[in-house]
Amino acid sequence: MIELKNLSKHYGSFAALDDVSCLIKKGEIIGFVGPNGAGKTTAMKIITTFTAPTSGTAIIGGHDVLEDPHEVRKMIGYLPETVPLYSDMLVSEYLQFIGEARHLNGTLSKRLDWVIEACGLENVMKKKIGILSKGYKQRTCLAQALIHDPDVLILDEPTSGLDPHQIIGIRKLIRELAHDKTIIFSTHILSEVATISDRILVINKGKLVADGTFDQLQARLADRRTIALSVKASKKEFDSKIKAIKDIDEIQSTESAGRGVISCQLFYNPSKDILPELNQVIRDAGWDILELHPEKMSLEASFIMLTEGGSDHVEGGIA
Amino acid sequence: MKDIMIIFRREFNAYFYSPIAYVFSVIFILLNCGLYMFHFFFFGNADMREFFSTLPIVLALIFIPAISMRLWSEEKKLGTIQLLLTLPMKVEHVVLGKYFASVAFYLIALAGTLTIPIVLMFLGHPDFGPIFGGYFGSILLGAFFLAVGIFISAFFDDQIVSLIITSLACGFLALIGWRYVPMVIDGWLPGLGEFLYSYVGVSRHLNDIERGVIDLKSIIYFLSFTGLFLTLNIKYLDGRKY
Repeated sequence: MIELKNLSKHYGSFAALDDVSCLIKKGEIIGFVGPNGAGKTTAMKIITTFTAPTSGTAIIGGHDVLEDPHEVRKMIGYLPETVPLYSDMLVSEYLQFIGEARHLNGTLSKRLDWVIEACGLENVMKKKIGILSKGYKQRTCLAQALIHDPDVLILDEPTSGLDPHQIIGIRKLIRELAHDKTIIFSTHILSEVATISDRILVINKGKLVADGTFDQLQARLADRRTIALSVKASKKEFDSKIKAIKDIDEIQSTESAGRGVISCQLFYNPSKDILPELNQVIRDAGWDILELHPEKMSLEASFIMLTEGGSDHVEGGIA
Repeated sequence: MKDIMIIFRREFNAYFYSPIAYVFSVIFILLNCGLYMFHFFFFGNADMREFFSTLPIVLALIFIPAISMRLWSEEKKLGTIQLLLTLPMKVEHVVLGKYFASVAFYLIALAGTLTIPIVLMFLGHPDFGPIFGGYFGSILLGAFFLAVGIFISAFFDDQIVSLIITSLACGFLALIGWRYVPMVIDGWLPGLGEFLYSYVGVSRHLNDIERGVIDLKSIIYFLSFTGLFLTLNIKYLDGRKY
């Protein structure tokens, strides 16, 4: 349904997207994850034909975004991150305008009734968009993306700024819509990706760093273990001695939390056992141990690992 | 064609959502009629030459930029440009719909000044040739300046910046038609001032039309420049390089 072919987008020397390729099947719900500025929005702008890629292209339902943008636009419903609304218009006027602009002549009133109910807009139809709360604005804009019953839905952070009730509502709606639509949504809330998406794409610094189901992603990340350690030591001594242990891949969030206490997370490969050497180092140095235990990798931690420490150790993804 | 109408309707109504439309039309009419009436009572001529001679500058510096500044700048600021340019419509239809809405709004404001010829009709025997020519020229001039304005507003997401740049651009076009401005330019670079005056400047063509001489050359001048800026606007937005 959606194919990204070596998609790159450069703004001057900055690469917002760098050679991203992937294939998304019809009916899939794709969760698009990555830190701010990773390129999620840029990819979405290209898929929706708003921005042209620097090189490569995207093919949506057989239509190339560069050669046949008109056909692509017909198939896509797009909820941009900025929630574009004309603040001076009434909600009803706005949806009417979008419906007309999408050429829904005969079916417009039926579709309007449907989106109003699906997005829960009954009470605000005669209100000015400018005075609506963030949640209602978000839903009005979602209604705009759904009004023409598109095959492909591109939702850029659809749940940002909503209260928990509304978030659950939107997630339910996405699930329901997924029967006959291909949906790509981006988010920062990782539990959200886990609950509603069929497949997760992790993007960082313009590159696709991981691609797979939630379980695959977890399994992949399980090959790194973490030890949480807090000791009383001087920072300088601690740094030099811990870094000397070869099997530790990475040391994170090392901090001096007053009174000479240092807390950190040590990442290492499960095939190697760093504990004996670590124990030896601590004993030799005579540090007081305040905390030492293995940590389970949370979803958030996996995300941070995939996207923060550079993409080198996860290069290749699972795909 | 239907797409142009859909955009036109939204855009035209948008002028009346906020008080800015009313404020500007009132100021426009007061300013123009006021400037003219001062002259009218002083000399007592039943013609509108003075009205049409001050109009280009008023249009160029304040009124046209005020109408055109929001056309794209507001869409960029609100982010609705993402919406508009991902609708299944041709960019040229969106641009034309917006452009015609601004022209229609201008025509309404201009129609507000029709009280002057009506008053003249009661007070004297004006020659309607130049008055008709004057209005015709003003329509062409406004349409041209609005095309410049919509083109400029696509570059900025701040309406005030669009307003100032449009004001400078249109002001330049209006001023190089005044005899002494090209003369000054000629002093720096001989030939340039004369060239600008005869080919680019607005006033020469406008003066012909306002004398009642509706010359095809002048009409082509206005229409081709209008078309040029609209085309540039379409090309810029269609390039999707931002």
